[in-house]
Amino acid sequence: MSAIYLIAVPLLAAFISILVKKVSPYLLLLVSAASVVAMYFVDLETIVIGGFTAPYGISLVVDRFSQAGLFAVNVLFFLVVALNINNYKKMSSILLVALAGLNGLLLTGDLFNLFVFLEVSGIAAYLITTTNKKPLATFNYLVAGTVGSSLYLLGLILLYAMFGTLNMADMSQSIADSGVSAAVVSLPFLLMFIGFGVEAKLLPFNSWVKGILGHSNSLSGPMIASVYATAMGLVFGRLLSEVFVFDDKVTLIIAVVVVLSVVAGEAMAYASTKVREILLFSSIAQAALVVLLFVNGFVGWAIMLAIANGVTKFLLFSVINKATEVVGSDEISSLKGLFVNNKIIGVSFTAASLSIIGLPLFVGFIIKMKMLESLFTSTLVLPFGNYFYPAVILLSSIVEGVYFIKLLVSLWYDKENAPVVHYDVLLKYVGVVIALGLIVYGVFQGNVVDFADSLGAIILQGGVF
Amino acid sequence: MLTIELIILYTLASGVLAFLVGRIHKGLGSVITILGSLFAFSAVTYLGYTDQLAFTSDLLPFITYQGTNLGLFFAILVSFVFLMVSFFNPFFVTKYKYPAVYSMLYLLSLSGVLGVFFTDNLLYLFFFFEFVVWTSLFLIPMGRSRKAASMYYGFSAAGSFALLFGIFVIYKDLGSFGISGIEDLVGTSKTIVFMLFGVAAFAKLGAFPLHIWLPKVLTDAPDPITALFSAGLEKLGAFVAVLGIVKLGSVGFNIPSINLAFGQSMIAGLGALTIVFGTLMAIRQDDAKKLLAYSSMSNGGYILVALSTLTTQGVAGGLFHIVAHALASSAAFLAIAAVAHRTGTTKIKELGGLIHKMPITYLVYLIAIISMAGIPPMGGFISKWMIFQSVMNKGMILVAVATVFGSIGSFLYVFRPLAALFLGQELPQFKKTVKEAPFFMLVPMIILSLLNVYTGVFPTFILGFINKVLDELNIARMVLTTFTIQGWNAQSILDPALISLAFAVGVGVAFIIFISLKKSKKVSLMDTYTAGNFIYTEELLHYSVDFYAPLERLYEKYINIMKDFYKSLANKVVEFGRVMKYFFFTNKPEITVFWIVVVVVFLLWGDVL
Repeated sequence: MSAIYLIAVPLLAAFISILVKKVSPYLLLLVSAASVVAMYFVDLETIVIGGFTAPYGISLVVDRFSQAGLFAVNVLFFLVVALNINNYKKMSSILLVALAGLNGLLLTGDLFNLFVFLEVSGIAAYLITTTNKKPLATFNYLVAGTVGSSLYLLGLILLYAMFGTLNMADMSQSIADSGVSAAVVSLPFLLMFIGFGVEAKLLPFNSWVKGILGHSNSLSGPMIASVYATAMGLVFGRLLSEVFVFDDKVTLIIAVVVVLSVVAGEAMAYASTKVREILLFSSIAQAALVVLLFVNGFVGWAIMLAIANGVTKFLLFSVINKATEVVGSDEISSLKGLFVNNKIIGVSFTAASLSIIGLPLFVGFIIKMKMLESLFTSTLVLPFGNYFYPAVILLSSIVEGVYFIKLLVSLWYDKENAPVVHYDVLLKYVGVVIALGLIVYGVFQGNVVDFADSLGAIILQGGVF
Repeated sequence: MLTIELIILYTLASGVLAFLVGRIHKGLGSVITILGSLFAFSAVTYLGYTDQLAFTSDLLPFITYQGTNLGLFFAILVSFVFLMVSFFNPFFVTKYKYPAVYSMLYLLSLSGVLGVFFTDNLLYLFFFFEFVVWTSLFLIPMGRSRKAASMYYGFSAAGSFALLFGIFVIYKDLGSFGISGIEDLVGTSKTIVFMLFGVAAFAKLGAFPLHIWLPKVLTDAPDPITALFSAGLEKLGAFVAVLGIVKLGSVGFNIPSINLAFGQSMIAGLGALTIVFGTLMAIRQDDAKKLLAYSSMSNGGYILVALSTLTTQGVAGGLFHIVAHALASSAAFLAIAAVAHRTGTTKIKELGGLIHKMPITYLVYLIAIISMAGIPPMGGFISKWMIFQSVMNKGMILVAVATVFGSIGSFLYVFRPLAALFLGQELPQFKKTVKEAPFFMLVPMIILSLLNVYTGVFPTFILGFINKVLDELNIARMVLTTFTIQGWNAQSILDPALISLAFAVGVGVAFIIFISLKKSKKVSLMDTYTAGNFIYTEELLHYSVDFYAPLERLYEKYINIMKDFYKSLANKVVEFGRVMKYFFFTNKPEITVFWIVVVVVFLLWGDVL
């Protein structure tokens, strides 16, 4: 089966859903479920659209990288939709567009086509966040997102002017062949880095995150923090590892941005008393770690981290946003004792948090160990030496662990009249599956390691499409 | 044949079983903890001691194991503590919020502990280390307060991550995660690893300046878990200390006057400070658990001082002190737990006269504190004697002063709970309600007391085992005979059995005098008068509240310095977070654009477009 259906079918369904409003929610469910199933039949190939071969035409690339990303994003997308479809029927058409855009982002092998899908999925995201009923925050998101994609486009135009191609593989080949120094292309790549940094939540460019995720509901929270974050992180990673060439100065800027995002992200989460804010600031730090791994060439583990973060954040945001809708506040103090009456949800929430902290028996532990091992033993020249990044990561991990443990203890204990929140059976089921998955892959780590290594190996062969 | 892997997995499985059974019946789940820890202890001890334990790994091949006497020494001790404490679980779990989870986590952390002591891979040492942290972590909030858990995690994580960083430094240098090769490290890496392992050991042992969590956790944790932390889990820190301080070898230049490396003497100095601070703080506590918690801290200092001397007597004394303190502090904490079980409080000023109703508990506590204070014929005396020997002969004057100060200080504080809880007038509210602790609580307490005496009278058996550990650490053996221990030179011979005999004769004589004299008459509490007036209410007239007020006044202004330091450190993180939020997360997109411009300008700075 050709992967092009993963984009075309949701788009077509989006049009149909506008015409027949009544069936649109079912159409959405059907299409998103079908996308998950279709993942098993998609072949590894490069698809040429319209008979124009690369580098002249647009090509879609299905390799292990995009396959892993598509699988994670489609499954998470389906879960978010299935959990919320009853309450947000009106968003069906928009969600179908979002699905098409995200799949396109992950599949495309063309830099300009990437911009198109960035805009498509971006517009869908702005519309999804309108359900937060915080127009100002959505407007900020709109402005920031547009500025970001404009910068990406600006960088791309500069590159096109220099090398005359838009295909990713061809671009990196042309840059290598032309023999120009990295300094010459540093400005376009920095612009593109900043452009994607807005979507990937890197620190100075991410002011929209607090307004959007801090007021998110059970649809927009998991959608933006988990589905979109995974997709954006992976696409960004593809650019970083396959196309971008950095000179020393850009490398320094990126190092500062990433380190600042990790440190400040954890500190801001520690300083927060609202659960959604804690989770969103923790997401910022995690997203920065993903970028850090991609930039330094640890592709396999970067993908694993992005996917693990997507899965765990999906669960955390789903649980908390549902509780917030019922209780009416997301202050820790008002959610105290939430899990006393919801033990199954509590256990899966705890497992997901412990995995994020990176405690043993959970997948997060392996990812963290491998991440640190890669950074320690890397023969590449890392900024400030081999010890710097691990030290930053470990120090910020202490802070991260403390606020998560505080949060967990508050949610499990205290308060005589604990809030009563009824969770969907589906979420309970999904939560248990996620928790078991985190533990199973955390114990039998051979699979995870092999998978990450195979992902890394494919990429490092260099984008031969 | 039983492999260590199977023992660990069975213990793990018994934890899950305890959870499932605990869901059906609260008490039964905790009975599983007794059976599970009995299995782990007896399997490790019997098979390990008879060299029948296999160290292959078949089911999870990536985790590899090795058998060392050092690991076996710690594993036997800590699993024994788990076993002893587990007898208390059935009496306590029903009071806690999640009894089934309690039973599960109890056994899970035991399996993690065994893993720490038997793995041959530093990375899996860390794996098990962190596993123990999070499993024991969630036991803490079931007790008195919720704050202690995150505090414990913070310090623990600082220690664990220092350990991890050190492990990766070793890996980068030596290209292997093997524990056995760490003595091959040289140069700067060695110094870094030494410092990082030191941080890990200090954090786990609760030694100055990473001690803040210890009294908090030991006071607030559920009563059995307090005993477990003090006697069992803290010893993980001692294990890391043995690896980092002794196995790694001398670090830094040699200080000729004491013939000790600079690194080790720093550890000794901090250990001495730990002793002094622990002692001074213990003196002022009003809560028996908190008092013993600070005593635990100061004993951790003894262990650090002893190990850092790198002499035969020092290291052997440190290892013996680990045993002696584990036995004494578990007995003391369990006795306090028994009191708490019967009365519901551990506050000194709310208790008194329990000897009438709980004589066996009293005796257990008495023996335990005699050992803690280092008085013959208990185990604590032997280890302190060895530590004094090595410190004095090294010429470490200031450290020696601190160790003596700690010993004398412990006389001052350990007898206060004794006098306040057990002796003195019997409080009216406890007259009818309080009984002796139940039989199954007495069993572990009596066993521990007998062992406290045994280690003091015949220490040579355990020292013989310690000699095997010393061989592995490349330190000369202790010279032992059946009854005697040789100190620094051939003239300093200690004969604990002889001392105990003299002690027993003394006690015997006193006993004869006691029974031959006229029997004392029991009078009621109000059968007295004070200041020329008769007494009409049975109110508490305690000697033990503010007993050392003049002494406390000398240093009461300075006791919160470290606590405030960590508090303001946490506040600084919060402030930093708030500043970042203020700078970057406004509702104005132009701020974002501003930062983008700043970044681009930085790139173009000095370049010609």
